[in-house]
Order: sequence, then structure tokens, then C-alpha cells
Amino acid sequence: MSFIILIAAGLLVPLFYRNNIFIAKMIAVVAFLLAAYFIYTGNSLHSIFPYFTTDAATKLMEFVLLATLAAVSLALTGFERPLISQMLFLSGASIAFLETNNFFMYIVLFEVIAIISYILVANIRNFFNAEGAIKAFIAGAVASGIILLGFALFSFTTDSFNYAEMNVSGKFTLIAVAIMLAGIFYKLTVVPMHGWAADAYAQVNHAAAAILSGVIKSVVLVATFKAFYKFLIAYPVATVLIFSFFAIVTMTLANFMALWQKRISKILAFSSIAHSGYALIPFAAAASAYSYAGVLYYAVAYIFMQTSVFLILNDLRRELGVKYLQDIKGLYKVAPLHSLFFTVQLFSLAGIPLLAGFLSKAVAFYAGVDAGLWVIVLIALLNSALAVGYYVWIIKHIYFDDTNSNETITMTPGSLIGQLILLAGTVYFGIVAGNIINATVVY
Amino acid sequence: MVAVDIIFAPIFLSALVYFLTRGAQHLAKYIALGWFIVLFFIAFNWYHQLPADGGFLPLGNFLSVPAFGFELTLQIDALSVAMLLLTAALLILVVFTSWEEKNQAAYFSLLILFSGPIFGVFMTTNVLWFFIFWELTLVPMLFLIGIWGAEERIYAAIKFFIYTHVFAMFMFVGFFLLFKQTGYWDITLIKEAAIATPALIWWLMFIGFAAKLPLFPFHTWLPDAHVQAPSSISVLLAGVLLKMGAYGLIRFTVELMPATTIQFSMWMLVLGLLTTLFAGMLAIYERHIKKMVAYSSISHMGLVVVAIATMTYDGLSAALYEMIGHALVISPLFLIAGWFHHKTHTWYMDEMGGIMKKAPYASAIFILAGMAALGLPGTMGFVGELTIIVSAVKSFGWWIAIIALAGLISAGYIIWSVRRAIHGPMSPIVEKSDFTMSFPEKFALAIYAFLIVYFGINPQPIFDIANQAFSFFGGM
Repeated sequence: MSFIILIAAGLLVPLFYRNNIFIAKMIAVVAFLLAAYFIYTGNSLHSIFPYFTTDAATKLMEFVLLATLAAVSLALTGFERPLISQMLFLSGASIAFLETNNFFMYIVLFEVIAIISYILVANIRNFFNAEGAIKAFIAGAVASGIILLGFALFSFTTDSFNYAEMNVSGKFTLIAVAIMLAGIFYKLTVVPMHGWAADAYAQVNHAAAAILSGVIKSVVLVATFKAFYKFLIAYPVATVLIFSFFAIVTMTLANFMALWQKRISKILAFSSIAHSGYALIPFAAAASAYSYAGVLYYAVAYIFMQTSVFLILNDLRRELGVKYLQDIKGLYKVAPLHSLFFTVQLFSLAGIPLLAGFLSKAVAFYAGVDAGLWVIVLIALLNSALAVGYYVWIIKHIYFDDTNSNETITMTPGSLIGQLILLAGTVYFGIVAGNIINATVVY
Repeated sequence: MVAVDIIFAPIFLSALVYFLTRGAQHLAKYIALGWFIVLFFIAFNWYHQLPADGGFLPLGNFLSVPAFGFELTLQIDALSVAMLLLTAALLILVVFTSWEEKNQAAYFSLLILFSGPIFGVFMTTNVLWFFIFWELTLVPMLFLIGIWGAEERIYAAIKFFIYTHVFAMFMFVGFFLLFKQTGYWDITLIKEAAIATPALIWWLMFIGFAAKLPLFPFHTWLPDAHVQAPSSISVLLAGVLLKMGAYGLIRFTVELMPATTIQFSMWMLVLGLLTTLFAGMLAIYERHIKKMVAYSSISHMGLVVVAIATMTYDGLSAALYEMIGHALVISPLFLIAGWFHHKTHTWYMDEMGGIMKKAPYASAIFILAGMAALGLPGTMGFVGELTIIVSAVKSFGWWIAIIALAGLISAGYIIWSVRRAIHGPMSPIVEKSDFTMSFPEKFALAIYAFLIVYFGINPQPIFDIANQAFSFFGGM
């Protein structure tokens, strides 16, 4: 039911948004709420279609996803209105993506989400946007091709695509999985497949970047872990080697690149890439009982933080034309509310406690220590401490520097409610760890 | 419930104070003062409730996550209570010394925000929550240094934040390994379980604490942070934040892994000695008055580590005494050094000179605290240094008497700076400066002076607490 409602609302919204964006927003929010209700009552895809199952952890991720998208749709204005219906389609596809228990469906839905993301970034206003959108499209197309190659190879060796019944010990399975991962790493923006993301996240419209870098990445992260779990367990040595290596390379390179940037959106883009590196650690630690908890916690925390910072940047860009670090000097005087939300979410991204960013890192990295990878975890922690450098640098420009500007801007009510929803998520999952861990760890 | 409330209430209280007093800035300090006095009395009340056998006073468990063995366990013993009392007392005095700070609503709401996690650090026995509070104290400090500090404040604030954050990560991995190897986050439970790789965990945690203390060679953040911070915040940095390092060292290495600590006690001793002597030398070399005080602070923290390295009851008691003594002695030095700069607009002692004639009250207290820092009998410095030297000699033999050099060096830098800045011919800068001090500042300095002398003559109350705190070593 939830899937049908979201798709129906997605078809309905375009009829309204040309004349009245408020009604379009309300339809979207009601659709998200109804979808959440039906997921809560167990009336989701799995009750109608085969190849889908659900459990407590999946439901939790779906609620988080719907809340985030509701927050984004409330915050949108003006020319971003097409995003509303695209987000409704995206949420429908993501719910299917999260609930599927069939590898074939996983590949198909991966493509569906990729296509929606191409449409998302195609909201083009200038040459700069177009460059980002084309990079995202071409990289995505290459990734799709690679994934299909790996999947074709894998399908020779298995009789069933059900996650539980797949044959993971075939002759070519390891190479097939490696090829598929190469494609998926494009979407997860793992170095060296990250080049497109650094430009696309920074150059496309910031609201689209919020969805692209925050929402889609988190969903792909969780669904990929569920899909590949059996492979990860079957090839423990390769798993540890591949994921540890890419985790370290990704986070280190992205953090150093972020330190050099002057453009705020570019800093956030590289920060997003660095976070993919941290999120690979629980993959490497698949042998640990906490690995799924680590991935899920990371995805949940990351979706709130990353979406929030890009949405604030979107507001600041629209109201004040903020692009570079020098543009936000003394921002706390000009836009006190934006500054506050921005600061809290940046602290969360930096991993300061009592915010979701800290507990997600704690759980994900604990999974690593639990699997015996404490050296990798130490490198990751030092990296995250290094990352504090550029987060605090942004905060330094906001609070410690002065501005001559006397104008002040306030948040629109929609944007404020959206930010409050995201902040509530960041704070709630920063203090209460029970929901996620109880949903994932069997004890 | 009081226990968990006083940790989390400051988050809401600080937001409330900020928004209520934005229009009437002068009210913020009264609310902050009231809150810190309440904290002091709560801590004092806990002191009287402590079990007589030296065990923990349970204050409740909160926010439980059974699958991760993770909950906010609050329990305190005499060592925690000593730190809580010290923290609350310093916070109260800091309100007096910041009486005329600019932008008070924000300043005092950040101070209130700071009071929550710092209490949490000393109250929880869960290592993960300990780490959470440890990290949280950095956030208000970042803003307090970065907004209210001196000329180089932004560099200092960011360096302080990143430096302490980086080294905390080593500690964090150590805590993870503790949980992995024992299955508990709570130190009272970890203590009874077997640890597979104690040496690795010990070093990871030790590096984390050493950077906070700070020990040579991890000390470079301190002179910047302490010099650039406003003086009242330097008091909190030296009096409370450095004590977090010493407290952590005692709680997580000495109490948790005594056998491993004894194995590596020589390393601690050498690092402590190096810190003491090296920082003392740097203090002699300084012309910058607040940097001189900052190096003197590092030098005294080195003595604390030497005392902890003895791993005896006497040594630990001396360490606790010196921790409290250091807080009370260094604080007025920082305050007056900062005040001199505020009035004369110079940092350099050789440009001051003759301040005694224009500001006798502050100069007298500076000299008193300086004498305490160099260990004059009748002050806290004497008792601290004497007990440390006696316990170190008892544990390590006579060669350790070279530690007495530290006293000699501190006599050097204190007396020389008194001669340069306070006595001598009056410099033109001092001549044209105005040295009026507000009453609350005078009051706070008087309290510091009183405490330095009182506990110097009558050290028994502190040793009573130490007796209770370290009774597991089998009392004196």
C-alpha cells in the first residue's frame, strides 16, 4: 500500500505544483505520513508482491527515509518544485529497494533509483549545474554497465536470486562480486570512483545534492549490505582486504581534499565522500555481530546530517548568494537560525557526542574493533579527527569572524520545520541508541 | 534522579539563559552563579553520603541499551567527589572573575553548558559515556576561547580543539578494546574481568590522558590555548580540564590496570620528570607573563604524574593533593597575569615593572601564589611538593631527589618574574595605566589566597578525602 500511495502521489503532484506549491507540498507530506502509517501496520510491499520481506531494521530505515524526504519537501521553494514529485517516486523505489530479498530485484531497483537520480540532477539553471548533471549521468551509466557485467557473471553460477538461497560458492562468484562492487562503489562514491561526486554534489542544485548525497547514498548503503551480506561472510579474507583498503583510501584522500577547498559545497561534497569511507568499515567487519547495526546506524545518522547541511546551504545560496567560505564570515549576525542549525549538524558530521554522528561512528567502528580490525579503526578515528579541521573551519568563519553586513534573514516556516525534523533526528539518534541496536543485534 | 538531571539540565538551562537574558545581559551571571552554587551543595551533600569503606555511591543507571551493554551508569567515590567539589568551586569563582566580561548572555550560557559534561566526566563509571562527556567539554571551550580570547584566539581555539580531539581518539580505541575483551563498558565490572592485551590498551589510554595533562611531548597545545583564552577560562582549563587528564590516569590506568601500570611506571616517571624540568626551563626563558604561568602549570602537572607513577598510597594521595593545590595556585596567577595585560596592554614582563606601587593588592596575591608555586612552607605548594618528593624517594630511591631541582627552577622563574614585573623601577607603560579592580574580582582573589594558605597549614581535609579515595591501597 505504501508503495502505491507514494507513486500515486508522485503522479498527482505535478497537476498542482505549477499553480500552488503549498498544495503540492501538503500532498507530498500526507503521502509520506500515510506511507509511514502503512509501513507501521505492516501493509507495505511484501504483503502484495513476492520478492519482498520486511523486518524491524528495514522499517526503521524507511521511517527515517520518509521523515527526511518530508523535511526536504517542506524546505523547497520556487523552481525546485519538480523535485517534489521526483522525491515521491524516489521514496517508493527506495522502499522497494530496502525491502527486496531478491538479488535480481536489487539490480533492477538500483537502476530505477539511478534513473530517478539523473532526473533529479537535471534541474538545470546554468552551465555550472549542467556540468555536474552530465558528470553524474555519465558516471552513473558507466556504473550501471559494470554492475550488469558482474551480475551477468554471477547469474551463471546460481539457481536462485533469493538472498538466503543464493549460491555464493560458484567458480566465478568472487570475481563477479568484485565487478559488481566496482559499479556500486561509483554510487557510494568510494575513491577512486569518486571523481564525479566531488563535482556533481557541489555543482548541481543544492536541494538535489541533499537528496543525492544524503538520501540516496544512505539507502544504497543499507540495501547493499543486505544484498551482499552472504558474499561478505562467504569470503572473509577478500572482504576484509577490499573494504579496509577502500575505506582507508577513501577517507584519507577525501579528508585531505576537503581541507584544500574554498567553496563550501565542495567541502561538503568531499566530507560526504569521506563519510563513505567510514561507512565501509562495518562492511569490512561483516564477521562481527554488530556489522549490520553499524551500517544501519551510519546510514540513519548520515541521512539527517548530510541532508540538513545541504538544505541550509541551499537557503543561504538563495537568500545571500553564499558560495565560498569568505561569504559566510560573521553569518551568526546575518542568519542566526541558519548558523545554529548548520553548526549543530557540522558538529554531528565531525563526530561530537550527543549527536547522531558520534554514536553512528561509535557503533560502526566498534563493529570494526569487534572483528579485530582495531588498526583500521584507529586510522579511521584519526581521520575523523582530521576532518574536524575543516568542519571547525566553517564554524570559525560563521562565529569568530566579523561581517560589515547589517541585513538579517529569517528562515521560511517550511524550511524551519524541515530543519527541526532533521535536528530532532540528529539529536534523538545521538542519545538513544536502543532502537537501532535492538533491531539489528540478535542476543 | 538528581544526578542525571544536573548533567543534562545545563543543555536546556543554557539555551534558556541565553534567550531570557539577551535583553538584560547583566542577569545572566546571577543565574550562572546560582546554578554553580547549587552544584557545589549537591556535590557537598554527596561527600557526606559516601560509603565509609571507600566504595562507590550509586546514583542510578539511565539510557540503557542492553544489546550493546551500554548505559549511563552514574556512581561516585571520594576521588570523583573531590574533583566535583573543585570544579564547582572554581566555576563559582570564575563567575566572580568574569563579572565584567562582554556579551554576558552568551558567555555565561556557555559556562553553564560546560558545567554539565564536566560533571558527567567525574560522575560516570561507564567508559563510553566518560568519553562522550570528555569530548563534549571541548565544544563550549572552543567558543569561549575563540570568541572572548586575546589576539591569536582563533588559532589557539582551533588548535586546542583539534589537538585534544585527535589524542582522545587513541583513548577511544583503547576503550573499544576494553569492551571487546571483557564485554563490559563499566569500569567496576571491567576491573574483575581478564584483559587479553593490557599493554596495548594501557598505552592507547595513556596517550589520550597524557595529551590532556599535558605531558611532554604532547604539551604544545597548552601554551597557546591558555595564553589566548580569557583569564577566567584559563582558570577552567588549568583547574579543571587538565585535572580530567590526571583523573583519567588514576581512574583508568592505576585503578583499572594496576599490574600494567606498575610495569610501565618507569615510563610515566621519566615522562613526568622530563615534563617538569623541561617546562620549568621554558618558563625561565619566557618574557611573556601568561606563557610563563602556562609553562609553570605544565611543570606542576608533571609532578602529579611523577606522584602517580609511584603507584603507592602515599604517592596517589600526594597526587590528589597536588591536583587540587595546582588548581588553586595556578588560577590566581593566570587571573592576575591576564589582568596585568588587560590594564597595561602588554604581555611582556620586562615592559611592566613597578606594578607593586600602583596595584598592591593584586601584586601581593600574585607574590603569594607565586611563592606557593615554588613551594614556600605554609602554602599548598609546599605540602604538595614535599609529599610528592617523599613518596617518590620511597618508591624509586635517592636518585629521584633530582626532582627537587624542579623546586629550584620554579623559584628561578617566579622570583625573576616578580622582580621584573612587580618590583623594580616603574616603567612608563605602568605609569600611564589605570589599575582599578572590581570588587568581585578582589573577592575571588581573596578566596584563592585564603584557600592556598588554609590548606597549606591544614592539609588534613584533603588527605581525608585521599584516604577514602585510595583505601584500596590499604590506608596510611
